Amino acid sequence: MFDAKNFIDEAISKLKEEIKGKAIIAVSGGVDSTVAAYLSSKAIGERLLPVFIDTGLMRKNEGFFVKRMFSEIGMNIKVLDKKDYFLSALKGIIDPEQKRSIVGERFIRAFEEEAKGFGAEYLVQGTIAPDWIESGGGIRERIKTHHNVGGVPENIKLKIVEPLKELYKDEVRVVARYLGLPISERQPFPGPGLAVRIIGEVTEEKLNILRDVTEIVENEIESAVAKGEIRKPWQYFAVLLPIKTTGVHGDKRVYGDTVALRVIDSLDGMSGNYSQLTHSLLEKISIRITNEIPKINRVVYDITNKPPSTIEWE
Amino acid sequence: MMKVFVVDNGGQWTHREYRVLKYLGVETKIIENTTPLEKILKEGVDALVLSGGSPSISVEAQKLGREGDYLESGIPILGICVGAQFIGLYYGGKVGPANIPEYGKTELNIIEKDDLFFGLPNTFYVWESHNDEVKELPSGFQLLASSKNCKIQAFRHKNKKIFGVQFHPEVENTEYGKEVFQNFLNTI
Repeated sequence: MFDAKNFIDEAISKLKEEIKGKAIIAVSGGVDSTVAAYLSSKAIGERLLPVFIDTGLMRKNEGFFVKRMFSEIGMNIKVLDKKDYFLSALKGIIDPEQKRSIVGERFIRAFEEEAKGFGAEYLVQGTIAPDWIESGGGIRERIKTHHNVGGVPENIKLKIVEPLKELYKDEVRVVARYLGLPISERQPFPGPGLAVRIIGEVTEEKLNILRDVTEIVENEIESAVAKGEIRKPWQYFAVLLPIKTTGVHGDKRVYGDTVALRVIDSLDGMSGNYSQLTHSLLEKISIRITNEIPKINRVVYDITNKPPSTIEWE
Repeated sequence: MMKVFVVDNGGQWTHREYRVLKYLGVETKIIENTTPLEKILKEGVDALVLSGGSPSISVEAQKLGREGDYLESGIPILGICVGAQFIGLYYGGKVGPANIPEYGKTELNIIEKDDLFFGLPNTFYVWESHNDEVKELPSGFQLLASSKNCKIQAFRHKNKKIFGVQFHPEVENTEYGKEVFQNFLNTI
């Protein structure tokens, strides 16, 4: 079985050995990068600079949440507002793989700039096994470009350090629980953020709609979990579709947007079942979305397992 | 400690095989399928698992490296998905695109419990992800399990410790997956 203490001791001593000078670490507020940051900070102390980039593709209040969470665990992070830098590059892009590699490239360029200022030669990333597996390479097919692997440009100047590379999410959670990190149970969120949950072009308007929808989905699922009505799913989110359909609002015809709910149960993200939520819970989510966000007049539920689907739509 | 290596054919679940073996208390690592046999023998390996992967068996068998050498070596082998198809092809069976490919949850019917399915129910759910399949077993092999849309889901060599499964026992959602691995390890 997986031994967290053993893993932590080994990881810290390997990080001490591998990182000779200063390093920066890319943190997102998720469990992987938080664990990687915590271990790196134990290994090299002040020689580490944790950086959170607000890409404009995040959920509501994410920057605030992440900064507060890190200060709770005794770490200071630098928050960079790079919204325009990311959104301008995504203008007109509809291909999901292109979105993913643009985001990956922008992340690296932004980190390179920060590293230069801090005098760091190393970039620590919270890459876990599914990231490099799905990114492909050699005889392995690329299923999708993970921003921290396949999205990394070839001419990167920083040396990449990946202490969690051989672990799956459930194992990272075991480490996070052992370390007492508050985000140990947080659901995964993709590196390219909401960009891969908006099918078609990413715009500020769509991002704002999707942020509102996401908040409702997270609230309702998390409150059902808190009440003990359901077990916590692996992931629960919404995808904004480029499809308009007909609806009726107060006896008037409307032609509005559609969102798909994706709720999935999995151990490690490498295979999964769609969650068999009750109809009453699905209905509650649907009523809230369509009433609180009038632009959405249709909600559909994704009932596909992985495989054949992937968890995220793009 | 028993030593079992995972031969990588580029599957999405190759690393899962490594994980399941590790959790079963086996010393394991992932190796390239072009690794020379002598090198594997020198490391004192007890068995090999041939992973799944995207190569299409009827036209890209060369992408499976030196797995023919491994089959000749007498090392016990469990082939999974394209690894199993390669075993079928290597010994002269018929392989090719499946009439009905299977993706995700599928019911497995055990025909012969033998070693691999020892102590397991007669039917259970397994997860699939394949476009190709073994269409006819080579002589000297025995059929162990089928599904509705794929007749050859599991097979073994009648005298050697060579097994093939079309489904993916390493996937968390597959029922009794760990037991299938343990049963394979028990034959060694």
